[in-house]
Amino acid sequence: MLLKISSAANFGVTSIGVTVEVNIASRGMPYFDIVGLPNKSIDESKLRVKNALINSELKFPEKRITVNLAPADIPKEGSFYDLPIAVGIMCGEAELNVPGDALFFGELSLDGTLRHTKGVFLLALFAKENGFNQLFVPADNAQEAASISGVKVYPVEKLTQLVNHLRGSNLINPCIYINSRVKKQITYEYDMGQVFGQEKTKRALEISAAGGHNLLMSGPPGAGKTMLAKSFCSILPELTDKESLEVTQIYSSIGRIDPGNSIITQRPFRSPHHTISYAGMVGGGSIPHPGEISLSHRGVLFMDEFPEFSRGVLEALRQPLEDGNITISRSYGSYTFPSRFILIAACNPCPCGYLGSVGKSCSCSRNQIAMYRKKLSGPILDRIDLFSDVYNVDVGELSTNRIRDKAPVGSDVIKENVQVARERQVYRFRDCGIYSNAEMKNSHIRQSCKIEDGAERLLQKAVVLHSLSARSYFKLIRIAQTISDLSGVDKIGINHMAEAIQFRSSH
Amino acid sequence: MAESINIDDPGYPEKLRKIKDPPQELFYKGDLDPKLFDNCLSIVGSRKVSMYGREVVGKLVPSLAGITIVSGFMYGVDSLAHLACIKSGGRTIAVMPCGIDYIYPEDQKDLYYSILECGGLVLSEYDGDQKPQIWMYPRRNRIVAGLSQATLVVEAGINSGSLITASSAKAYGRKLFAVPGNIFSENTQGIYQLIEEGASMVTSPFDILDFYQFSSSDLSVPQRSSLFSSIEANGTLREALLKILARESLTLDELVRELDMSFDRVSAELTLMSLDGCIFQQEDRYYVA
Repeated sequence: MLLKISSAANFGVTSIGVTVEVNIASRGMPYFDIVGLPNKSIDESKLRVKNALINSELKFPEKRITVNLAPADIPKEGSFYDLPIAVGIMCGEAELNVPGDALFFGELSLDGTLRHTKGVFLLALFAKENGFNQLFVPADNAQEAASISGVKVYPVEKLTQLVNHLRGSNLINPCIYINSRVKKQITYEYDMGQVFGQEKTKRALEISAAGGHNLLMSGPPGAGKTMLAKSFCSILPELTDKESLEVTQIYSSIGRIDPGNSIITQRPFRSPHHTISYAGMVGGGSIPHPGEISLSHRGVLFMDEFPEFSRGVLEALRQPLEDGNITISRSYGSYTFPSRFILIAACNPCPCGYLGSVGKSCSCSRNQIAMYRKKLSGPILDRIDLFSDVYNVDVGELSTNRIRDKAPVGSDVIKENVQVARERQVYRFRDCGIYSNAEMKNSHIRQSCKIEDGAERLLQKAVVLHSLSARSYFKLIRIAQTISDLSGVDKIGINHMAEAIQFRSSH
Repeated sequence: MAESINIDDPGYPEKLRKIKDPPQELFYKGDLDPKLFDNCLSIVGSRKVSMYGREVVGKLVPSLAGITIVSGFMYGVDSLAHLACIKSGGRTIAVMPCGIDYIYPEDQKDLYYSILECGGLVLSEYDGDQKPQIWMYPRRNRIVAGLSQATLVVEAGINSGSLITASSAKAYGRKLFAVPGNIFSENTQGIYQLIEEGASMVTSPFDILDFYQFSSSDLSVPQRSSLFSSIEANGTLREALLKILARESLTLDELVRELDMSFDRVSAELTLMSLDGCIFQQEDRYYVA
């Protein structure tokens, strides 16, 4: 007796259909085998399925069972084939009505309950695109799948529950999507209002948040670089629906959506340690998994102690910073992960950290400083839009009335500005497939940036005076556009351009 | 190819011949013009030069037209002095601590060649491409001090090599100038020692020009106030910024706080002012041009 159950396999952030073929032969010794290039976790599925069936007081046939995962020439991994395999075997014993337009996906526990698994959101997208109308997934993952409209999602808690449903008695109620966008009010640990002084860096962060520009902060230890970076989350604009979809795909593919949660509505903030490996940063593995740059897609990648990252890791950032995606190639194919993130990098001015700071003297030799600066290659620095120095704010000055009386502007006010500026951009680029000024290609700039004559002349003058590269020229236009968006006008004026020029590298 | 001059040759610098242990043979590159040695001022100072030191060298040297600047080609004050001299059209002498065919520090090759191009001189008492050894620096310093009537120390820590040059100059009976600095800075501790021991303070180019007995009619010497710029300011923000910056150089953040104005206005104005050439930026501080 042969049964075919539909499921899917995820490769990176794309899915392909997998048919789980279960053959139960009445002749031959009792035996259970899985073919179709399964990895260890799928192979172990045999024991999980057998015990789950027995512990759910369902019958496990003492017959010769062969499972084939078709197409058979693609290596597969993951534990979510447990459910389709179990359904196939159960069909051999009981009269179950398995609908043809249903997908099964889920990992079994030995007691017959279903566990939280990864990739359910991708599965739901696949189902919608390929005309599968019913989805049977673990109850913990149901919200994740239910965010895709047009597909009926059945949350399954136990195998027995599913058997009853397929028999037609005690039907499972389809999951109702709870929009998590409206339900949460987030409070942030750090607020811009807590940071005194640092006007230039705070403004740089505001511009960066509004236009998606990369920023490098340089300053002595303890000046507040990390705190500023952490408070950056609190001024980021809201994720748009499309962006949210992209982020959720990545997080779902590695099972990082918490049980009961649906789509991701918060921009991710990732701060990997500087000892991170190459694969950890860009993604890797025999079947590639997304790395930190993809996990920070549409969000923030904060790299503290920027020059301490290994050379390979830093240079690997070049393509993603430019193109917004990373392609990882394997012998059987290549995977592309999106990686459009805002890079917030922090570094010290020299190895000891006190070069140029008032009060403490630098103990580095000139060679040490040169070696430290050399760690950041020209091509990487060229891809960073905004440069800002962070200073050790004098404790005495902090306590004087002048600063204390005037509390710094809080994150909520800045965020409102940023949100408005971002919405202007989303509207401006509604037909271009991009969301922010930082993503503008030169053709977009020509098409949509209006520059006042005076501002253009100013830019020309700055290009000559500071001998700027062509890339820097366009970089300045992008920043100036964001600044003009922040001040609520479309056309780039002299003052916008003049401010943009302030943020170029001073080294 | 390097040439050399013996202590008995007539072209040998007169002032150097008078010191206690003059080099028997001097190797040099460039044109040996005897006029070059007439009015020499040695400028030495810390390798780790502060922004203040940069400003002092950058503004003082251009006012000393007609005086040959002698220094040791080390990075920091030395190289800044050479550079400022070349930029203002002067001639300068670099005394190397190594063999005449070796350029040290290597990354200052550009400066090395522009010194020669602008009619300057590179000197050493060693032939060939010998690398510098630690004992060669004090030997070099005695030549720097010996070539000039006067030595100016810009910034010096308590253990600075510039103090060796200064004490050589004193031993040879030459004039010693020192630029006062911030009393909290490490780079000033050696300077105060010099001033206590009788070095003359320099607060304007005139202090030096008077010593060389140049009068403003001989040369087109800028007026005393030339260290302070007087640029016609238009617009109130620009005026306010110039007023503050003439008092002290500040960072953008400090200016925003001082003026208590929004960041975007101050930063935009500063860019416009830099592009107009009335202020300039070094590292992260702004200076009146």
